Formats: sequence, C-alpha cells, structure tokens
Amino acid sequence: MTGNSNEPLEDADLPAGTDELLEDVGHIPTPSGLSANKTDSPRRRFWRRMFKNPLGVFSMLWFLILLVAWVWPELLATHDPFKQDLTFTRLYEGPSSDHWLGTDERGRDFYSRVIHGAGFAFRSILIAMTIAVGVGVPLGMFSGWRGGRLDRAIMWVNDVFFSLPIILLAMAVIIILSPSLDNAMIGVGIAMSTRFTRLTRAVTLQEKEELYVDAARISGLSTPTVLARYIAPNLLSSLIVQAAIISGAIILIGATLSFLGIGASLDDPDWGVMLNRGRNIFRTEGIWQIVPPGAALILTVLAFNLLGDAIRDAIGRDASNNALTISKRVDIAPSDRPHRPGALLSVRTIDVEFPSPGKEPVQILNGVSLGVLPGKTLGIVGESGSGKSMTVLSALGLTPAPGRLTRGSVQFDERDVTSLSESEWQEIRGKDIGVIFQEPIAVLNPAIKVGKQLMEPLLLHTELSKAEARQRAVELLAEVKVPDPERRMDQYPHEFSGGMAQRVGIAMALACSPKLLIADEPTTALDVTVQGQILDLLMDLQKERGTSIILITHDLGVIAEVADRVIVMYAGQVVEGGLADDIFGRPRHPYTKALLDTMPQNHHGGEGDDLAVIPGVVPAPTDWPVGCRFAPRCQYATDRCREEMPVLEVLSDGVIVRCHHHEELSGEAYAGRGEVSL
Amino acid sequence: MTQPLLSVEHLAVHFAGRGRLFSPDPPPVKAVNDVSFTIDSQRTFGLVGESGSGKSTVARAILQLVDIHDGSIHLDGDDVTRVARSAELGFRKRVQAVLQDPFSSLNQVHTTETIIGDPITRHLAIKAGDERRERVADLLDLVGLGHEFLDRYPYEMSGGQRQRISIARALAVEPDLVIADEATSALDVSIQSQVINLLREIQRERDVAFLFIAHDLEVVSHMSHDVGVMYLGYLVERGPSDDVYAQPTHPYTEMLIASIPFPEPGEQAKRRGLRQTFKVAEPPSPANLPPGCPFENRCPVAMDICREEMPAVTQAHHGGEARCHLHTSGPELGGGSVVEFIRSEARGNVGV
Ligand SMILES: Nc1ncnc2c1ncn2[C@@H]1O[C@H](COP(=O)(O)OP(=O)(O)OP(=O)(O)O)[C@@H](O)[C@H]1O
Ligand code: SF4
Ligand code: SF4
Ligand SMILES: [Mg+2]
Repeated sequence: MTGNSNEPLEDADLPAGTDELLEDVGHIPTPSGLSANKTDSPRRRFWRRMFKNPLGVFSMLWFLILLVAWVWPELLATHDPFKQDLTFTRLYEGPSSDHWLGTDERGRDFYSRVIHGAGFAFRSILIAMTIAVGVGVPLGMFSGWRGGRLDRAIMWVNDVFFSLPIILLAMAVIIILSPSLDNAMIGVGIAMSTRFTRLTRAVTLQEKEELYVDAARISGLSTPTVLARYIAPNLLSSLIVQAAIISGAIILIGATLSFLGIGASLDDPDWGVMLNRGRNIFRTEGIWQIVPPGAALILTVLAFNLLGDAIRDAIGRDASNNALTISKRVDIAPSDRPHRPGALLSVRTIDVEFPSPGKEPVQILNGVSLGVLPGKTLGIVGESGSGKSMTVLSALGLTPAPGRLTRGSVQFDERDVTSLSESEWQEIRGKDIGVIFQEPIAVLNPAIKVGKQLMEPLLLHTELSKAEARQRAVELLAEVKVPDPERRMDQYPHEFSGGMAQRVGIAMALACSPKLLIADEPTTALDVTVQGQILDLLMDLQKERGTSIILITHDLGVIAEVADRVIVMYAGQVVEGGLADDIFGRPRHPYTKALLDTMPQNHHGGEGDDLAVIPGVVPAPTDWPVGCRFAPRCQYATDRCREEMPVLEVLSDGVIVRCHHHEELSGEAYAGRGEVSL
Repeated sequence: MTQPLLSVEHLAVHFAGRGRLFSPDPPPVKAVNDVSFTIDSQRTFGLVGESGSGKSTVARAILQLVDIHDGSIHLDGDDVTRVARSAELGFRKRVQAVLQDPFSSLNQVHTTETIIGDPITRHLAIKAGDERRERVADLLDLVGLGHEFLDRYPYEMSGGQRQRISIARALAVEPDLVIADEATSALDVSIQSQVINLLREIQRERDVAFLFIAHDLEVVSHMSHDVGVMYLGYLVERGPSDDVYAQPTHPYTEMLIASIPFPEPGEQAKRRGLRQTFKVAEPPSPANLPPGCPFENRCPVAMDICREEMPAVTQAHHGGEARCHLHTSGPELGGGSVVEFIRSEARGNVGV
C-alpha cells in the first residue's frame, strides 16, 4: 500500500499452503471475563470468601462467643460475678471444678468475671464508635462533597485533633465531666472520629468524580439522597474494615484507662481493672491473675484486626486477575503447516486455551497463523475480544496465565522459538522486539526522569557507557521528533502530553534497534490530530530502519493508513487476510464487509439514513457457535454455516478467507446488499 | 423566529487552582471561554474537539455540575443559569444525560429496575411497584433490550448493553434535551453504529433534542444537524454539519478532517499529505493561554497578528461562525472556506 505500490507483491508468488501467512492476532479477552461467574453476586462472593479464610472464620467464631457473653452472660457464666465469698481459703483460689479459673481477692468467680468483662468491652466500643462514626462520617462527607476553602479548614482542624494523643482527649473529657469509663469513651470517640473523617472525605472526593454520581445528580436527586444512596454504599466496605480495626484499638485504650485507674470502677468485672489488680498482687500471688483477662483482651484485639483483614480481602477484587503472569509452557502440538519462507516472524496454526474450573478448557484462539516480512507492516484488526493481542502475546512466549499455548509453531528470524524458555525469550524480546503500548503514560515511571528511563534498556542490552547511552537517548528523542530533546531528557513524564509521551514510548521501543516492532493500539488513547502524526512517525522510521511492524487496532482507518497486509480476526479465528488494497477494495468475508459498512466514513446515504449495523454482539468464548462463528450475526448465513465450520481458503490472488459462501458473495453480488439470495 | 430550546451565551467556566489553606492560589484553568450556541427542539447539536478542549465542561455547566464563571444558559427562554431558579422550572426533569463510560456511569449496587426507576419515582411520582416496573420494561423495549434485563446488575452486562440502560434512564422522564457525552466512544465499532442508530431512531419517535459530544468528527457530523468545533476552551467554528465538513472555515477544523483515518488506502494517502502540512507542537496549557490565537503554534498559515490578538468571532458563509483572523486580516477570506487557501499555501511551503 502507501509507499510500496511499485514493489512487487511479495506474496503473490508464494505457493498455496503458506496461506495463512498472514493470519491473526487479537485482543486479550480479559481473563476476568473468562472466569467471571456471572451468577455470583458480590454479597455471596463476600461470604464465600469469608468462610474460606481460616483467620476470618476464627475471628467470626470468637466474636460469636463474645456476643453471647455480652447479650446473655448467664448462659456462659457459672457464678454471679459480684458475689463475694470472703472465707479466707476461698480467696485467690486456683482453678477447680467449681471455679474453672479460680477466684479473685474477694473470692468471686474469676471465670464469670472474665465472661462479664465482654459486656464492658462492647459497651466501650458502642459508645466510642457511635460518636466516632456519628461525627466523623457526616463531617467527612460534607467536607469532601463541599470542597474548597471550607474543606481545607475542616481538614486542618481535623488534623490537629488527629495528632493529639487519644488518652489525652479521654482524660480531658473525664476532667470536664466526671471520671467514668463511659465518659472516657466519649473522649476516645472524638479522637477516633478524626480517622473516620479522613477516610470518608477521601472516599467522597473520589466517588464524587465518578460518572454515576454525575448521573444521579443529573436525574435530579437531592444532595443528601445522592450522598446516602450513592456515596454511602460505596463507602460502607472501607468503613467496616476501618471500624473493625479501630474497635480493637478502643478495647485496648479502655483497658489502658482502667489499668491506670481512670476507667471502669474498681469493682467492675472489666478486663483492664482485672489486669490492674493482677499486677498489684502478682508478687505475692503469682502471675495467674493476669492470664485470663489478658488472654481475653489480646484475643479480642487480635480478632478485630483479623476480621478487618478478612473483610478487606473478601471485598477486594481479584488483583491476580489483572496481573500479567506468564503461563508455564506445556506440551505444544506442532503445526502441520510449513513456515513462511523469508518471514521475520511466522506463526502457524496456534491454539490457546484457558482452563475453566470444573469444565472443559475454553479455547480462545483457534488455528491462528500469521507472517510478517522484513520491513513490512502487518495490521491486525478485530473487535475487542477477538483475540488480537492474545495472538501476538502467545507468539512471543507471553501467553498470560492461566492460558496455555497448546498447538502451533512459531519461527522468529529463521529460528524455531515455539518452546523457548522464559530467559531465552527475554534475550530476544529485549533486543530484537520492541513493544509500543496503548497508554504511553502508564508505561513510564512517574518518579523517574524520562531521559533516565530511556537510557535503561541501552545500558541493559548494549555495551554503551553511561555518557554514550545518554548521547544515544538524546538522538533517539530527536529521531522521534520530540522538540528540544536535551531539555526534555531531564523532565518527568507528567510534563509530557499524550502525544509526546507516545513518542517517548516509541523511542524506548526503538532503543536497541529491534527487527520487529509491536504496536498494540498505539494511537487509541490519543487525539485524532496527534494520531496521524504518530502514524507518520512510525512509517518514516520504518522506511529509514527497515523495521517490521505488527500494528494491532480496532480501527480499519488506521490499518488502511499504514498496513501492507491485513488480517481480520473474529472470535479467536482469522476470517480474512491479504494485501491491504485487496481487503479494502474487495472484501470477501461478510464480517469484513459489514465492519467497513458500519463506519460513518463509508456511509453514503443521506441525512435521514441509518448507519449499517452488525446485529447482536461478539459472543463470549464460551458461547462460540459450532459452525461459522459469525453465523448468528451474518445476513448471508445458511444452514450449512450454522452446522459446519468453514476452513480458511487461499484464493488465486493470495487473499485468504474463512467463509462457505465467499464465491457467491464476491464481486457484483456485494454491490447491492440484500440482493443476494442463497 | 421561534425560541431555541437551549441557548448558551458567552459561557465561561474556570477551575480555581488548588492552593494550600493560607497560600495564594495558582492561576485558574480556563476550561471554557466565551462559548455560544443554540439548540432547537428535536434537533441535534454536535460538539467536537480533542481531549481537554472543554467539551465535557460545557456539558457539565449546562447540567449544573460545575460553577459557571460567566455567561448565561436559557431553556425555552427561561434563565436557568442559577440552580435555585432552575429547580422551580423542572430543569432536572427536562434535561437528561448519557455519559461516556458505560462501566462507571451506572452504580454497581443497583439493578436495572432501580437505576431506571429512581428518576421515574422522583419526577413522575410513580412509586416502586408494578406500574413503575412496567414503565421500565417499556423503556427496555425502546432501547432494544429484553425484559430479563430488569433484574440484572450492571456487572452482568456488556458495554453496549450498559449504554442502552443509560439511554433508557435518560429517556425515562421524557426530557426535552438529552446530553450525550462520548456516549459511543467506549464501544466496539459494530456496537457503536447500533447505538448511534438507536439515538437517531429515538429522536424521530420522541420529541427530544440532543447535545451530542464526541472527539470523532465523522461520528458527530453523522449524528448532528449542526456542529461546533472546540479548541482549548474556545468554539472555533460552528455551522451546519454537512457544510462544516465539506467547507471548513477554520484551519483547526481542516486539520481535524484531514486527520480522520479513512478505511481506503488510496484516499488515506491523499489525506496524509494534507495532514502533514500541520506542525507538530504541544498545545498551550489552559492555565496559561497565550494572548493571541490558541492554535497559532500548530497553524500552517499563522500570521503576525495571530500571535498578538485573540481573533474575534466572524460570520461564516455556511451561516455559522468562525474564530480566525484569516477572515478579517491578511488574505481576508471573509467567512469563506479555508480549504483551498490552506492547500495552496501548503503546496507553496512544501513545494509540492
Ligand atoms: N474539576 C476540574 N478541576 C480542574 N480542572 C478541570 C476540571 N475538569 C476539567 N478540567 C480541565 O478543564 C479543561 C477542559 O476539560 P474537559 O473535560 O471539558 O475536556 P474534554 O474536551 O471533555 O476532553 P475529553 O475529550 O478528554 O473528554 C482541561 O484542561 C481539564 O484538565
Ligand atoms: S460461512 Fe456463512 S455465516 Fe459464516 S460468514 Fe460465511 S456466509 Fe456468513
Ligand atoms: S487566527 Fe491565525 S493562527 Fe489562529 S487559526 Fe486563524 S490563521 Fe491560524
Ligand atoms: Mg470529555
């Protein structure tokens, strides 16, 4: 196409059978999309995860016991915790069948007192938490929602209180009111409210920018309703986690206050008071009096923290789903197709599957082949989920786990690379293959100067000294037409616009002069005016350096601009491939044709006419039809299409197509859509 | 002349910089400056421009989600610039929106029935129950979704389906104006054309006007009767969409058109040559706009006056307006198209 129209068609003279030279590459079907169990509601998933976590189960059990001890202590306690037995021999008794944990200095049943202590602990939490949440959450919401100077003023005051020692605040309240555990807890509640204010404000600030909050405001809901119905539910999970952890802290503070003698009264069966007494007498009576209340206290605080962690884990999304971990190589059945002679990268009939729990593995790539010639550009086009990115990743030994390459052969630079180890691959990928990503900014480390990041691959993969690498980096920036490269070397990524950052991304990919450049939607995140300039740059660089390019995109216009050859992918298969001029000039596959027709650029009707559409949606890999995968959306589908999967055929002009009816459909028949009757 | 449904006059929106409590604020970001346009009922006005040009901010200002620095907004002749006044006029019922990201514009914790039903309860006073459920089901019919979607959560739907839910929600209270901000941008090509057709069909069947915002001029001009082109907060050109597309009167519009990739290699090669006459440069920051034309450093035909003076709004031949010195200074296009002029200049410069 552009730029090589006077070169011979390098594929036309290839023997048939090298057909799929071109084949395909597609989008990564998101692993989460594959594994997501759609009937599992967030609530059920939460409980399932809670019960799977042993620490979560332990903490829930412990709280069940404490809850009973609090609500209905008589059920657990064996004695009245206040009933004294001052008979001398009954004081400081050791554990016995009557008094399971022995007695204290007034002959009261120790076990029953520890049980009743749960009530004191919970009462403290209740008071402090009511104040902390009751003050902190509304204040944080108001502050975050309101923003501006008032927000800054509120947060300034909040930070002052936040930095005061909690015990100090508790003592201040005791001094103003009167000494009692309840009053101390009021002070603790005020201190703790600052934590909730911070958290709530942060979440509110973030949620308020969410589109669904805009949507709620547009629909006319009042601010309090938006806060209660839209922000609060999203706040809830972080609040519960925070509350669990703070509850642990409150118990500890309550015990500390009682221990210091300014909390619960000396007769109360409070764990802190018991500890304090135990400490006073442990020289004469031994350590036993400290153990039960101490253990109850530690276990409870621990349980609160474990509960917080368990809730956080149970709420959290599967982080593992997003990380790109490379799967282990398994036995790969070789392809029966010969490699493309002279190709830099030749991929032959690769299959990739993802395991699905309890079921047959799901195949997401099926017999995909492609070839890239030196100095040429292969464009891979398809909708999301068609397998474009997956094809390229798998070909380069990067099949994302838990996916597996199960069939096919890959040749790079005349070498069979199908089953290379990861370290062997790393060597090739770092030196001979450069990758350009969709979000240039995401690839650059925000904390490191751009120049330094550009020098890294040079220092790693070449023998250059530091000064030479810097010199080379400046040249690279100049080569990708970043104005004023010397100055730009010392800037941070945030000082670059999207287009300039993508130029840096290209410079990084080119740093070690790779033979193959992979560009996965390199301009999708950019403005259209900048997109053109980036594509120009890629084409110029290719002309100067003779680099091969694989360009992955959903935009047929971008493909038309730069690709020599094109592969169209649908549902994990190549459906059509050939020289760009052929594909755009005379599409043979109904899907290619339909894709071109849906573009407004190709809309030739008048004002009132609708765009052509492809009905339905791209099916998920689990729902791929047995026959032609496009059949449910194809206007030419026949019974044969629904039953029998078409194979890739090589046509006389070198175009490959996967359709039972391409012959009847090609040429004139397409001109008048709808006139074809099959 | 009849009253326009929506009229935006000299709209300006500035975002104050975020300073510390007791320190002076940095200069404001001038996101929207002196923007004026009108939308007649049952018509579509398209707004196009690159990222950060202020399209969404215009939408958010009309929807009263951000504070307006200057200018006014009228709905059916009533001043709705201030929130308090607009509340009396039922503004929230009359103006609805479909937002960009189908993944975050729906609250994940509610089912379709609640998402679409909430505004019905609020504005049409129909409590949750059979009647409301029926209405929601009718709306699902309208947007081409089955009734099984009534009890689904957003995470159980595809992007295209979610966007249909957003459209159903916007239409639920029978608004006069729907603002669609990048409503189709996040969708796959084949789904995008479905949603565009749906919006057009709805306009034919229901008495509703659209403000259609997108970065893709091709999509916008297909959807809209009139378009406005934004650059760095300014409306640089406005007019009937077919004419603006065929005979642009502002160099930036011409650049946008030349940049649209065309799915045909021969045609694309032609556009490429034209596109390359525009300069590679970073646009200035909206917090630090130059005194002259904001497009000056990328414009292939910039003159001395462009660096010094902000161009005024001029009448264009297509009946709309352009904001460019070419129409009043230098070669004096006087409202005519820039196409021939830029192409001949380009030939001169590049020596083609
Ligand atoms: N809440 C905000 N605070 C500060 N600046 C803002 C805020 N919202 C927008 N801006 C700034 O205002 C300018 C216009 O932004 P706006 O979102 O309106 O652009 P847009 O044309 O919709 O872009 P896109 O195509 O990316 O959606 C930008 O410079 C942006 O950074
Ligand atoms: S095989 Fe049949 S269903 Fe598939 S694309 Fe061809 S005509 Fe359509
Ligand atoms: S005012 Fe000058 S710089 Fe701006 S677009 Fe017009 S000619 Fe170009
Ligand atoms: Mg926007």
